Amino acid sequence: VAELLTRLRGVRHATAWIYGTMLVSAGLSLIASFVLSIDAVRLAADPQTALSCNINSVVSCGAVANSWQASLLGFPNAFLGLVAEPVVITIAVASLGGVRFPRWFMFAAQVVYTIGVVFAYWLFYQSMFNIGALCPWCLLVTVSTTLVFTTLTHVNIRDGNLPLPPRMQTALKSAVAADLDVIAVTIWLLALTLAVVSKYGNTLFG
Amino acid sequence: MGGGPVGKQARNTARQQRLARAAAERRRAKRNRLLATGGGLVILGLLVAIVVTVVNAAGATSRDGDASKRLVIPAGATPAGAIPIGALTAPVKAEVYLDYMCPFCGRFDRANVDELDRLVSDGTLRLELYVLSFLDKTSNGTRYSTRTANAVATVADRAPDKVLAFSQALFAEQPAEGSDGLSNDQIAKLAAGAGVPQEVINTFTAGTFEPWIVELTNTAFDSGITGTPTVKINGTVFKGDLYSAGPLTEAIMAAKDR
Repeated sequence: VAELLTRLRGVRHATAWIYGTMLVSAGLSLIASFVLSIDAVRLAADPQTALSCNINSVVSCGAVANSWQASLLGFPNAFLGLVAEPVVITIAVASLGGVRFPRWFMFAAQVVYTIGVVFAYWLFYQSMFNIGALCPWCLLVTVSTTLVFTTLTHVNIRDGNLPLPPRMQTALKSAVAADLDVIAVTIWLLALTLAVVSKYGNTLFG
Repeated sequence: MGGGPVGKQARNTARQQRLARAAAERRRAKRNRLLATGGGLVILGLLVAIVVTVVNAAGATSRDGDASKRLVIPAGATPAGAIPIGALTAPVKAEVYLDYMCPFCGRFDRANVDELDRLVSDGTLRLELYVLSFLDKTSNGTRYSTRTANAVATVADRAPDKVLAFSQALFAEQPAEGSDGLSNDQIAKLAAGAGVPQEVINTFTAGTFEPWIVELTNTAFDSGITGTPTVKINGTVFKGDLYSAGPLTEAIMAAKDR
């Protein structure tokens, strides 16, 4: 068992696994953004499309798509996913093919994606607590954005791409080596799940 | 010449540094193990909490479904479970499926309130309200849809001429979906404002018609209603714009002339 665990850890820190996960997650994000963009265009063409409340009022009702939060910058947020995710996919594919990007490039990617993750969670919060409805595609974006962010952070810490003080770099590296990052992300995603089921469980499992 | 002591000192320093690094490494490893164990416990706790929440949620719904109370039907209600408003002889019948928590039902009602009032009072229209409770899940456990639907059914039973005014008052003061909804006192105040006698208002909290509301909600969805608001004019679902005054009136007038 110990040997299997060691081997699994080896795989987890391998370039192929990290960028593979990033590629799959970014792909899912792109699909979700695509669906949401099409919905936004259809809603714009015919506002009645999703106007009636569905039976399951929590999942859909057009409430999310029709909210001001859904187009914070004046156009549907999903368009941002259409722009950003292909870049992530390119980075992942190139890295899988053996390309090593310069440190400044990976650091810039980290900064931009961090902004994206903050935005994704702002939206999640808004739809959870202010709009009062959840859309499955938005949840997929939340989860896959989280996974892209964690894989990007993982690889940047592993390769020392972030301009951090040496002590912090060592501490982070040893934390990643001890798999604390996986534990933290698992806790995070489970906490999100708990929040969703405790607020909307009655509807989701009714 | 004299290199011995200096070299020894350097070796000692290097050795000390090595030891210090090793000690720091051990401390970090220990801390990481502790954190990993703690994290594992948190993960277990979260999994348990999620399972408990899901099981509770599923259980709560099945309890809602059992009609332990006696089925009481409001006087005048149609066999299909509607509350009728207006003359039996009116040429047009409009069936409205609504839930007092549904925001679009509120928009529908506020847009058409004056027209519906007029058409009912001039004898053109007979309204049949289906007061559903399927949005109970969106009022943080206060069952706002059931409480309001029961209040409206109570008024239909004992003060039928006040139903329309009371229903409109509920939509005029509609709470946000996902909030606790209005309190029983606030609902009582709206009823009083609509002219419902106090002795009728006092029976709202008895929940007399709740089993009937459960039944009519199930019947409505079994009959193919997929959401609210749904409006049927003489049995045909109205597909036009429900959210501005005019289109519905035109459809009603067209049905009258047919």
